[in-house]
Amino acid sequence: MHSFFSTYGSMLLAGIGETLYMTLISALLAYLIGLPLGVLLVVTAPEGIRPLRSFNSVLGFIVNVLRSVPFLILLILVIPLTRLIVGTSLGPSAAIVPLTIAAAPFVARLVEASLAEVDSGVVEAAWSMGASPFKIIMKVLLPEARSALLLGATIAAITILGYSAMAGIVGGGGLGDIAIRYGYYRYETNVMVVSVVLLVVIVMVLQALGNRWARLIDKKASAPAGMAFGLFGSGLPLRSKHSEETNKGDEHNENDTDD
Amino acid sequence: MAPILRTEKLSKSFPTPRRGEDVRALCDIDLDIEEGEIFGVIGKSGAGKSTLVRCINFLERPTTGEVIFDGVRLSSLSKKELYHTRQSIGMIFQQFNLLAQRSALRNICFPLEIAGADGHKTRERAQELLELVGMGDKATSYPTQLSGGQRQRVAIARAIAANPRILLCDEATSALDPETTRGVLALLKDINARYGITIIVITHEMPVIEQIATRLAVLDEGRIVETGRTSEVFAAPKSEAARRLLIHPEDGLIAAAARHYFEDKGVALEEVIRDYA
Repeated sequence: MHSFFSTYGSMLLAGIGETLYMTLISALLAYLIGLPLGVLLVVTAPEGIRPLRSFNSVLGFIVNVLRSVPFLILLILVIPLTRLIVGTSLGPSAAIVPLTIAAAPFVARLVEASLAEVDSGVVEAAWSMGASPFKIIMKVLLPEARSALLLGATIAAITILGYSAMAGIVGGGGLGDIAIRYGYYRYETNVMVVSVVLLVVIVMVLQALGNRWARLIDKKASAPAGMAFGLFGSGLPLRSKHSEETNKGDEHNENDTDD
Repeated sequence: MAPILRTEKLSKSFPTPRRGEDVRALCDIDLDIEEGEIFGVIGKSGAGKSTLVRCINFLERPTTGEVIFDGVRLSSLSKKELYHTRQSIGMIFQQFNLLAQRSALRNICFPLEIAGADGHKTRERAQELLELVGMGDKATSYPTQLSGGQRQRVAIARAIAANPRILLCDEATSALDPETTRGVLALLKDINARYGITIIVITHEMPVIEQIATRLAVLDEGRIVETGRTSEVFAAPKSEAARRLLIHPEDGLIAAAARHYFEDKGVALEEVIRDYA
């Protein structure tokens, strides 16, 4: 046991670092692209606050096409673009390019689903007060959907984590890379098992954090049912503790949301 | 004095999903609403009440006809001007429509933020308004922690925060029990008396009109079939629709004035209820 970790410990640690780096930076960039796209999808929908029929169809089509390209194909297709941006097609930084491109349209759909759940009556109330479409987006749609958005972001991050393991095939680095190189190519099963266990732990931690945080910032008693399909940890705090938590959260959240 | 709100031959049709004739929700509505009055619009469900109230602030654009608010034709306004004008037309709803992720206080800040105000002043104003509606101690509560009546009080405070000239109430008490309804109506009456805000109440409940409105219009199948002072219409309803509305077929209740009316005529109430139920 001791010798295992002295041999592979530092490599696995670096793998964890690379995986988290790829996942989080890709998620961030994917949201930079996907969040505005998701907002546009909702806002320009026929029942949206600024319906634009043909724009909405075209955008929806592009998102669908991008989402249907298998990640492995995308990984290879974008190599020239990756070289152009990062300078190399190997390593974790290079993996960020295909990961972001694959995740952005997925994020757009997650954001769309979250925003679509915002009560249309509240939007109507904002209209009646003289809000412009931009103010409705910034002050109603996004803040009202914040809990669902956060759960969606958790799902997105975990999906990207899964994809990042595939990036190992083209030398992307990270735990997935280690699992493939050692476990699959060199038959060192123990390294593969440890890598996979570490991936499982990361997924569980991400999901549990996402669930807790989402619940903490949600001022509605019931979480949006459609989005609360977390794999793990969704039942962590007991129901009876929930109301306490919400109340405790009140004071400091008052400041959180003021920006 | 010119009315604060006037509708001229206001009509609204909705296209049917399949080709065919459009559905006519409103037909040639002419209304004059005077500054400072509480005006009731009553009709059974499907009569076009909600469409009418949504046309008044152009949440729905009328198909033909005009809405003239404070001498300005809303149809002549640009989008930006319309948004600005809406700040002078408050609105409350049957389902309250509070922002679930904002505390009561910050819900009331919302219209002020839309109007471009922010910071300490808006919070002070919001707190004043909370106290005005009897909710001074609920500033940090979130809508889900409040009862229906409390939510509507917050919604009222929010609707009048930007100092509107008119307050539109769309079935504002229909989700509340009779006692809570009385409280909310008393609050509206108080606000009307205190600030002179014109109030337009849309409802299917005669007792609401009876308690609060000085004048009313009866809406039936998209047309106004009767207008007049509340006391007069209650004492001697001219239209079939008004007579029918004086009776609550759901629970057999009869507005007090209606009961007198029928009793004076020597008609047995049971008969009337049976006829109209």
